[in-house]
Amino acid sequence: MSETTALNRLAHHFESLDKQQQAARLGMWLFLATEVLLFAALFAGYGVYRYLYSDTFVRASRDLHTWIGGVNTVVLITSSFTVAWGLDFAARGRGDRTRLLFGASIALALVFLALKYVEYSEHFHEGQLPGRYFTYEGLGPGPGGPIFYALYYLITGLHGIHVVIGMTVLAVIGFRAGQGAYTAEYHVPVELAGLYWHLVDLIWIFVFPLIYLA
Amino acid sequence: MAGHPQDAGHAHAGREHVHHSHFGRYVAVLIALLVLTAITYVAAKVHLPGGWAVVVALTIAIAKGTLVALFFMHLWDQRGPNRLVFVTSLVFVALLIGLTVADNATRFPLANPPGSPRAVKPPGFAPPPEGGDRLVR
Amino acid sequence: MNPSPASSDAPAVLPARTYLNAPDTGLMSWANTRDHKRVGVMFLVSTTIAFFLGGVFALLIRLELLTPGPTIMDAMTYNRLFTLHGVVMIFLFMIPAIPSGFGNFLLPLMIGAKDVAFPKLNLLSFYLYLAGAAVAIYGLIYGGTDTGWTFYTPYSTTTATKVVPVLLGAFIIGFSSILTGLNFIVTTHTMRAPGLGWNRLPLFVWAIYATSIIQILATPVLGMSLLLVAVENAFGWGIFDPARGGDPVLFQHFFWFYSHPAVYIMILPAMAVISEVVCAFSRKNIFGYKAVAYSSLGIAFVGFFTWGHHLFVSGQSVVDAGIFGVLSMFVGIFTAIKVFNWTATLYRGSIAFKTPFAYFVGFLFFLVFGGMTGVALATLSLDVHWHDTYFVVAHFHFIMVGATVMGFLAALHYWLPKISGRMYPEGWGLVAAVMVVLGFNFTFIPQFLLGNEGMPRRYFSYPEHFWALNVASTAGASVLGFGLLIVLVYTLASLRWGPVAGPNPWNSRGFEWATPSPPPPENFDATPVYTSGPHEYDEQAVPQPQLPEPEPRHV
Repeated sequence: MSETTALNRLAHHFESLDKQQQAARLGMWLFLATEVLLFAALFAGYGVYRYLYSDTFVRASRDLHTWIGGVNTVVLITSSFTVAWGLDFAARGRGDRTRLLFGASIALALVFLALKYVEYSEHFHEGQLPGRYFTYEGLGPGPGGPIFYALYYLITGLHGIHVVIGMTVLAVIGFRAGQGAYTAEYHVPVELAGLYWHLVDLIWIFVFPLIYLA
Repeated sequence: MAGHPQDAGHAHAGREHVHHSHFGRYVAVLIALLVLTAITYVAAKVHLPGGWAVVVALTIAIAKGTLVALFFMHLWDQRGPNRLVFVTSLVFVALLIGLTVADNATRFPLANPPGSPRAVKPPGFAPPPEGGDRLVR
Repeated sequence: MNPSPASSDAPAVLPARTYLNAPDTGLMSWANTRDHKRVGVMFLVSTTIAFFLGGVFALLIRLELLTPGPTIMDAMTYNRLFTLHGVVMIFLFMIPAIPSGFGNFLLPLMIGAKDVAFPKLNLLSFYLYLAGAAVAIYGLIYGGTDTGWTFYTPYSTTTATKVVPVLLGAFIIGFSSILTGLNFIVTTHTMRAPGLGWNRLPLFVWAIYATSIIQILATPVLGMSLLLVAVENAFGWGIFDPARGGDPVLFQHFFWFYSHPAVYIMILPAMAVISEVVCAFSRKNIFGYKAVAYSSLGIAFVGFFTWGHHLFVSGQSVVDAGIFGVLSMFVGIFTAIKVFNWTATLYRGSIAFKTPFAYFVGFLFFLVFGGMTGVALATLSLDVHWHDTYFVVAHFHFIMVGATVMGFLAALHYWLPKISGRMYPEGWGLVAAVMVVLGFNFTFIPQFLLGNEGMPRRYFSYPEHFWALNVASTAGASVLGFGLLIVLVYTLASLRWGPVAGPNPWNSRGFEWATPSPPPPENFDATPVYTSGPHEYDEQAVPQPQLPEPEPRHV
């Protein structure tokens, strides 16, 4: 029964399911490479302005709530773990467990977003806004403050968008896994969803020390 | 497992132990990641001089990232092209960041944006306090 | 019907069942196609329209430059025109035309595959192209922008002209480019037919593969740069604004990190075409296969290390300038390797001077001269004199028009029979080729002289002593434009009334010629097996690929 399901998945232009799955993985890694390069430009901007306004950037980092950054890091790392565990189950044909674990990851991601919401609200309240909207006094004079916050919103904002996309992907794939759409022979969509989510975690692993722990 | 027509497809190339759980491995990686997170937090509290703080932070982040890529993302047991793709992208990230920051670091100082060290004072801003935005090197 | 690389004596007949009429005809079947050949054709049609549009802008620019003062427009209009000429030509034509057009059509045929790895993503990449083009043209209709295609800050972030739609359009087209590159890399890795190792791949595939690597790695950085400019223009976040502590040169770093490799996205596919054309029309296998193959990868990678040569006079540090200057020289080595190998291929070959070969000759001449002026420009001290003058304009037009467009035209003539089943008129082909080459020379050689004399680029008016050369350039442009128009006319006519070409009118031993012309939707009835590389013209060589006896079709 599982064989026929697997065979049904074989697209007409691939010679074997194995090749098709290899192709899917390679395609996903190439896509992840583009995401890495997308963030690279922002990190380069961060690097340049951190170099130019190092004192202000350090003060701005310390001004942020490190505990929020830390909790969010732990949350994302744990959600990566639950995704990996969920894939493990999918590889053994237990799509029902995959659904549960992906659900846990989504819940953790919601915690992440909630904390970011708390953070952002406070920033808006304090006048810690990007560029010409910056009115916060606590970082002293100089352009370092507005530039820090412009980069802060760009990097965490773009990352947040990817969290939302990742959550959606996990939700769709997790739901289908729970419905028995995948088997031990064919669960490549679960793998790909996992890869995307791990990348989201990976990016945050770099964001956290650079933005929060300067 | 009964044989099916595409025998080559049965090899599960790239996932050798597909029927064995890797749960233990994942737990180990999770613990390592949490420990490294704690270490990076503590290291930041030590307030190392400017450049070194970034180096330490990045080193730990790279270690964490490597664990995630190798084990959560399964590069440890996958084929060459996927690894090559990932590593290559990182090389180009380093290239972009490296040469761009190097430009600002080695420029004629007045060519850097106003408000940065040794450049002009920014218009409309009050002069920086004593000590100001000086490079800590 | 068994395809055969040798041409038959009987009058050729179009195959009954081709990708053009199967599995279905009608607009919806094309709009919803998964067939890489149809996607390729749609790209070719769209990019040709874009080429025409960009060409019209170019002729208007040259008309304006006929006299030192205002001729037919005011300064703002002129600025918008050269911006749009650049944006349309680069993003809507040069980047997608050969890879997404010819690459899509030919790649699976050349590796014995039935389609690309992700046919639906392929279709999506076409729709993204259309969407991006639509957004950019929307901006165009509302006056467009006058920043130049390079969108330099701080002007682009403060201008009130319609820069945001143009930026967004380019951003969307970037995704199209990424998806195409992704598809091609995966296809090349996972869908090669049995026997087709990397060292037997057609050189077209190698170069397109190298192009795809650049598309994957560079385009996201462009996307981010354009997004940052759009955000700053719309919301004033000040990342590139010196008044807010930003560095405008940072934008240049980001922009050229993509845009320099982008020029290799534009030239590598043309080199891909030339590698095929030179073998087919000298009836000889390439001299130095590995050198040509690996030099494509060399160009792709080393091209990433050179972007700062666009920033030589922008305030970039001397350290960076030195590094970039030296590395920029290295990239020329790989092109030189290819040029020597192509030329060596001709030696003792049996040359058929048909239209594709005529374009190859033009290509070679213009690539060498354009490339050498590139190396000259990479010399920092010389660039201080030439930066932002017509010397630079002439250099990149030599490469982009002289080399890439020649490559595109060579591809068009070489593969028109494969794509449409019909042949173009050879006499008109050669006439147009001569006009294009001559017109091109008259357009751009005066521009080298103008630039060296100091005429700045993007200037609406100029001092009188530049008048004569500008008139010469405009005259050349009209000849060039007319030649291209002739190509357009007879190509369209051939699609309808051209003689049926048969499966392989060139007797080429390229792998793609082993299928009927035009090919059926599934390319091959059964997976071919390869026992040697392409372009084996030796008498004893067995035509490739070995097509197994097809099974009776289950209809």
